[in-house]
Amino acid sequence: MNPIHEHLLGQTRRHFLKRSGLALGAAALGSLLNDDLFASGSSSSPGIAPHLPHFAPRAKQVIYLHMVGAPSHLDLFDYKPVLEQYDGKPCPQEFLDGKRFAFLRGHPSLAASRFKFSRHGQSGQEISELLPNLARVADDIAIVKSLRTDEFNHGPAQLFLHTGFGRPGRPSFGSWVNYGLGSENKNLPAYVVLLSGALAGAGTSLWSTGFLPSVYQGIQFRSTGDPVVFLSNPEGHSRADRRRLLDAVEALNQQQLAAVGDPEIATRISQYEMAFRMQMSVPELVDISKESPQTLAMYGAQPGKASFANNCLLARRLIERGVRVVQLFDSDWDHHRDIATALPRKCRDVDQGMAALVQDLKQRGLLEETLVVWGGEFGRTPMQQTDSGDSQKTKPGRDHHKDAFTMWMAGGGVKPGITYGKTDDFGYNIVEKPVHVHDLNATVLHLLGLDHERLTYKYQGREFRLTDVHGELVKGLLA
Amino acid sequence: MSRSAILSLVLVGASSLSAAVDFGREVQPLFARHCYECHGAQKQKGKLRLDQRSSALRVEEAVIFPGKPAESELYRRVTLPKGHEEIMPNRGEPLNKAETELLRDWIAQGAAWPDNVVSAKHWAYVKPVRPTVPETKNRTWAENEIDQFVLARLDKETLHPSPEADRATLLRRVSLDLIGLPPSPAEARAFLADKSSDAYEKLVDRLLNSPQYGERWARPWLDLARYADSSGYQRDNLWDIWPYRDWVINALNHDMPFDQFTIEQIAGDLLPDATAEQKVATGFNRCVPTNVEAGSDQEETRVNQIIDRVNTLGSVWLGSTLGCAQCHNHKYDPISQKEYYQLFAFFNNTAKETDKRTPNATAALKFSGPYLNLPDTQNEPRRNELQKQIDDLTQRIDSRSEELQKSQPSWEEKVRTRGLQSGQVQALDITDFDAESGSSHRILEDKSVLLIKDENDATPPRDTYTVTVQSRIVGITAFKLEVLTDPSLPGGGPGRGDEKNPNFVLNEFVVTMAPAAATNAGSKIKFRKATASFSQSKFQVGGAIDDNPRSGWAVRPEFSKNHWAIFETERPVGSAEGSTFTFRLEQNNGAGRTIGRLRLSAITGTVNTNAIPLDIVEIVRQSPTDRPPVRQQRLKNYYLSIDSSLEKWRSERSKLQNEIKGFKSPRTLVMQEMSETRKSTVFTRGDFLQPGEPVQSGTPAVLHSLNDGPPNRLTLARWLVDTNNPLMARVTVNRWWAEFFGHGLVATSEDFGIKGDLPTHPELLDWLACEFPKNGWSMKKMHRLIVTSATYRQSSVVTPELLEKDDQNKLYARGPRFRMDAEMIRDNALAVSGLLSLKQGGPPIHPYQPAGIWESKVGGDAITYDISEGEDRYRRGIYIVWKRTSPYPSFINFDATDRNACTIKRSRSNTPLQALTLLNDPVYVEAAAALARRILAEQPSASVEERIQNAFLLCLARIPSAKELNILKKLYDEQLSAAKSNPDSARKTLADFKVPAQTSLPEFSAWHAVAWALLNLNETITKG
Repeated sequence: MNPIHEHLLGQTRRHFLKRSGLALGAAALGSLLNDDLFASGSSSSPGIAPHLPHFAPRAKQVIYLHMVGAPSHLDLFDYKPVLEQYDGKPCPQEFLDGKRFAFLRGHPSLAASRFKFSRHGQSGQEISELLPNLARVADDIAIVKSLRTDEFNHGPAQLFLHTGFGRPGRPSFGSWVNYGLGSENKNLPAYVVLLSGALAGAGTSLWSTGFLPSVYQGIQFRSTGDPVVFLSNPEGHSRADRRRLLDAVEALNQQQLAAVGDPEIATRISQYEMAFRMQMSVPELVDISKESPQTLAMYGAQPGKASFANNCLLARRLIERGVRVVQLFDSDWDHHRDIATALPRKCRDVDQGMAALVQDLKQRGLLEETLVVWGGEFGRTPMQQTDSGDSQKTKPGRDHHKDAFTMWMAGGGVKPGITYGKTDDFGYNIVEKPVHVHDLNATVLHLLGLDHERLTYKYQGREFRLTDVHGELVKGLLA
Repeated sequence: MSRSAILSLVLVGASSLSAAVDFGREVQPLFARHCYECHGAQKQKGKLRLDQRSSALRVEEAVIFPGKPAESELYRRVTLPKGHEEIMPNRGEPLNKAETELLRDWIAQGAAWPDNVVSAKHWAYVKPVRPTVPETKNRTWAENEIDQFVLARLDKETLHPSPEADRATLLRRVSLDLIGLPPSPAEARAFLADKSSDAYEKLVDRLLNSPQYGERWARPWLDLARYADSSGYQRDNLWDIWPYRDWVINALNHDMPFDQFTIEQIAGDLLPDATAEQKVATGFNRCVPTNVEAGSDQEETRVNQIIDRVNTLGSVWLGSTLGCAQCHNHKYDPISQKEYYQLFAFFNNTAKETDKRTPNATAALKFSGPYLNLPDTQNEPRRNELQKQIDDLTQRIDSRSEELQKSQPSWEEKVRTRGLQSGQVQALDITDFDAESGSSHRILEDKSVLLIKDENDATPPRDTYTVTVQSRIVGITAFKLEVLTDPSLPGGGPGRGDEKNPNFVLNEFVVTMAPAAATNAGSKIKFRKATASFSQSKFQVGGAIDDNPRSGWAVRPEFSKNHWAIFETERPVGSAEGSTFTFRLEQNNGAGRTIGRLRLSAITGTVNTNAIPLDIVEIVRQSPTDRPPVRQQRLKNYYLSIDSSLEKWRSERSKLQNEIKGFKSPRTLVMQEMSETRKSTVFTRGDFLQPGEPVQSGTPAVLHSLNDGPPNRLTLARWLVDTNNPLMARVTVNRWWAEFFGHGLVATSEDFGIKGDLPTHPELLDWLACEFPKNGWSMKKMHRLIVTSATYRQSSVVTPELLEKDDQNKLYARGPRFRMDAEMIRDNALAVSGLLSLKQGGPPIHPYQPAGIWESKVGGDAITYDISEGEDRYRRGIYIVWKRTSPYPSFINFDATDRNACTIKRSRSNTPLQALTLLNDPVYVEAAAALARRILAEQPSASVEERIQNAFLLCLARIPSAKELNILKKLYDEQLSAAKSNPDSARKTLADFKVPAQTSLPEFSAWHAVAWALLNLNETITKG
């Protein structure tokens, strides 16, 4: 054997481990990979080998359900009987002073929720009639009613929630987690994104890596066409054909490795094998038809259909296989108009699937180690919005509101069956236990075993964080 | 570790045990770099500050015991293992060994802290002085000064340079580096045959003069400029700024001196008698993402744009992290918050770039330029030709209309006397209309419904309309749905989608009927037949009533004209007591393929598509003198609408008009100064809603001073390129160095500040920085200098010794080897397969990408990704359209960015998605097919082995070894027999490609496999 080659085979492993995130250049390995090369775990490698968290994690993985467009907290969780007394009356002047609104102009009037609320479970959590399935798992979720954010337009607010910054260019939450913890899976990406409906306004920036090495980006699993772009072989090209092709590619790459000794070639070889494995593992993963009829019914999932329910079931399957971060985006929650019919329609899209997800994870003993987070990029105003000029024709909705909104969380070390934080009688301002988006992110990272102040990446001379220079752990949410 | 590795290399000499440590030169910079953030002037955690002797050497709670490193808390903390709770610094990388040893020695030597310590100015803020070129032991290796610096360093490390790469390797390397394309076989032959002593230099000069040079080098520059073809954020509509991209390519090709290159991009508009080209150059700062989401704050957007401009300027020309001073004084570098806003002030005098969508809009915004219009030389002839045809048609239409009007009374007479025909069409009055998407609508005079593009946001991708009608008509035998044009619709309609394709797809047309008094929805009406004025192939009107939500009715390409569909009921419906009809129009195709204007009518009696609508008959029956003008007009419009010639001409005319509309005169975004100056202030905590102290434009005091001049961008640009600027030349040559060698002499090419890495070869960096202005700021001359160095020409073979001593090649004892960037990988595949088109410039191109990447998105216009036709598909990657929220996926897989922010260096990852892209992206499958064809065509009568050799030469510019040849021969043989035994599979894979003449399908399949394998080799995508 060529002595250089021989040496390299011995060297490669050590060499890989030496390569660093800052040099990333060369050997940063696929986000998809915890190959044998990395199994030693002693690594300071930036690759995707699992890293030790900062402290004992409460959750190993996270499923983040993002409702693109921002659902109304006032019609789903944050019941305001007082608002009923003021229904149709002009809002207090102080609601308007010094505030910026996306669409509201003039002096808008208040609008009570058109939906009934009641208490559910042992915990007596208050949930609207629009979410009957979620109400059944009320005791398993923590409802946080005191979220607030800095941004009041969709694009910036989505970016702010996901990257801690209202403009594009920073790493997403999932990338940070991926960078901090690495992957537990050999054949799948560590960070998977699933969409139902249209792509969110801020687009792929919501799961891109910003200035973190690109291996940490989210990989979208699509519900039509190839689940991962370019996953399938061209038509007619069988697995045997592909194997033959890959064997030749590998043999030639080995020749080159022997001749020039660049360890990058060894990585390339392993990535081609990984790609070949993914061609089997991903279609198997996304095929939900093998799930029991009971499970499918529980989620309301239908094999072959693109839906939020299917994505919830897929999320569970991904988690089972050790995927670290699964992020679901569901569009069309921006109810400026006709919230009375549009909101129930959207709730029907998600209620069963998300409740089933919590229930299913619990049944399988996965909820303890899986954090589930649900919410939008901001809340909506207690003032009603009717588009200018034509109030007869336009049925009312609600405008964007950054100062108060609701999210719920479950599993993964979150205290179940609690309501956290409180807004005023109009659901307009927070009166108790505010949770800023930075606090939420600090808390989610904490549950995953990451200290948001220590999870840093140096770029342009600065140690950047998901929480910028803010964020307080919300201890009241921890079980 | 890489960072510490460099540091240890740098500091290894300085920290030897015996040497006396110099506090000011060595220790204080270390404190500044690692400690001041928490223990400095601004913050004193644990009440400790290390920028003051009294605090650092305090006795109470002492952290330093002079002479006793082992007992000093400071030393203990910095030597704790990574991840320890008490380690300092408590975030980021720990100190490396050289640094902790330095501290140990300093404390051991008594922790000397002179009273009047003069701290050295950070190296990068001191103007470079041309260093003496070092002497080296080996006097023959060096080709130019670069090599002497490199060699001197290698001497110190007792390493030796590698031998020169073989000529074929070198040829490929320098071609890829200078023009981003591989050498053609002819070029390879010519170079290999050229035995003259300056053959390599001649090659370099040819490449530098190639028009492809600018295309290759525009790529990193456009990353800096965050160039994209869309505005970003939620709307992310496409905008026109490609003339700026072409300007960059041209400027690089003409070797525009870098000072001029800088000035024109920052302030070309402010130059005396600025030319159009100089204004186009200011597009650099118009590439900034712009938020036009409805309801966003225009002033906030404007401020954010300026912040981006300032930060980008800092990164690109100063290698500085100015952005850190936006909210407070910079924590490490000597830049105050006030100075940040003094730079901000330079950019504060352009108009805002957003505006209300319409004058009355409350929240909807549009992007408002300013654009510079450029002459449309390309489309001028066709435009004139079209205009002439349009004028002809208009004339014909006018005269025919006049002629018809004369015959209108006699036609009316006929209608009057004939009485009611069978097949009466009666437009239905709409009681309620609902669009599931929430889109607004208006009911027009003629009873049609027009969907209105909301100011809230864009056209919804899909929609379902529910139309409720109360009617007492009996004996309804059919419903007529008319889909109508309207000037407010894109391309005139009838769909709501986009200008080019205003189609709709009506997937389901469902009608239910209930008694007027009933509260339930009633029963579904069964249809026996559907007919239409026109149906697109594969989208027949019957698809709307087949209960299959995938099939449906569409009308491409018959746009810009009215259409109708008639749905005949199984039995007559309707009740004299009144019925409620509910029409459900499901349109779930996506991409805004929804109906823009529609009218519903009931037909009674025998269905007759030519029947005159009842309301027309009613008008005719009225005496002309009694008719209100609206009805008179309606009658006239109807009469003119039934003339077949008029209909034909109008439709032709609107097609031609649409084609003209499709020609957009080129225009491009430019900077334009306002006549009045805006007042600038500091923003407290960086918040634009909290203006603080007023500021005038100015530059940071730590750098060279600003020359006299008006307080505008031109003065700022001249300051940047001032030869006294200590940073600009260093930062620029360092970025180029990184392009050639894979990493910069300063590894943090984005940060030359205190927290940035120190240069591995400080003297070489300074020498290059001094050489640059001396060469008239010529980029080409600097590139020539680098690629003709012996350092660059070395073999890139990695020996075990080199791997051990310098795994990342920071010392340059071997040549560069690293994966190509996304664009180069694609360009290379197209070039070797013979598909590449070298057509230059113009609007962005759209090569294949998987369906659905663009089409479904919240906000913004529905934009269909139409794959470019003809050679445009095969043009270089630099021309591919860049849409920020959904960028070209195959580039993203190879570490291209979404261009939302200035990127100084891209990641270089190695992932399975890259394997999948090269294996399965149709672009590469096609390139492999073309390469197979080329292999067959170039040597019509050669053996398999000879062809493999040629294929190898094409892809890798070298001859394969016997082993390599055998591997490919084996693949060829195996694929040949596989394709023979299963020709159907092979045919499917190659269905889109023509089998070359005199070649069997199995042979083509076998060559395709060989070509495919070659395009997937690590070597093929590596510059080595």
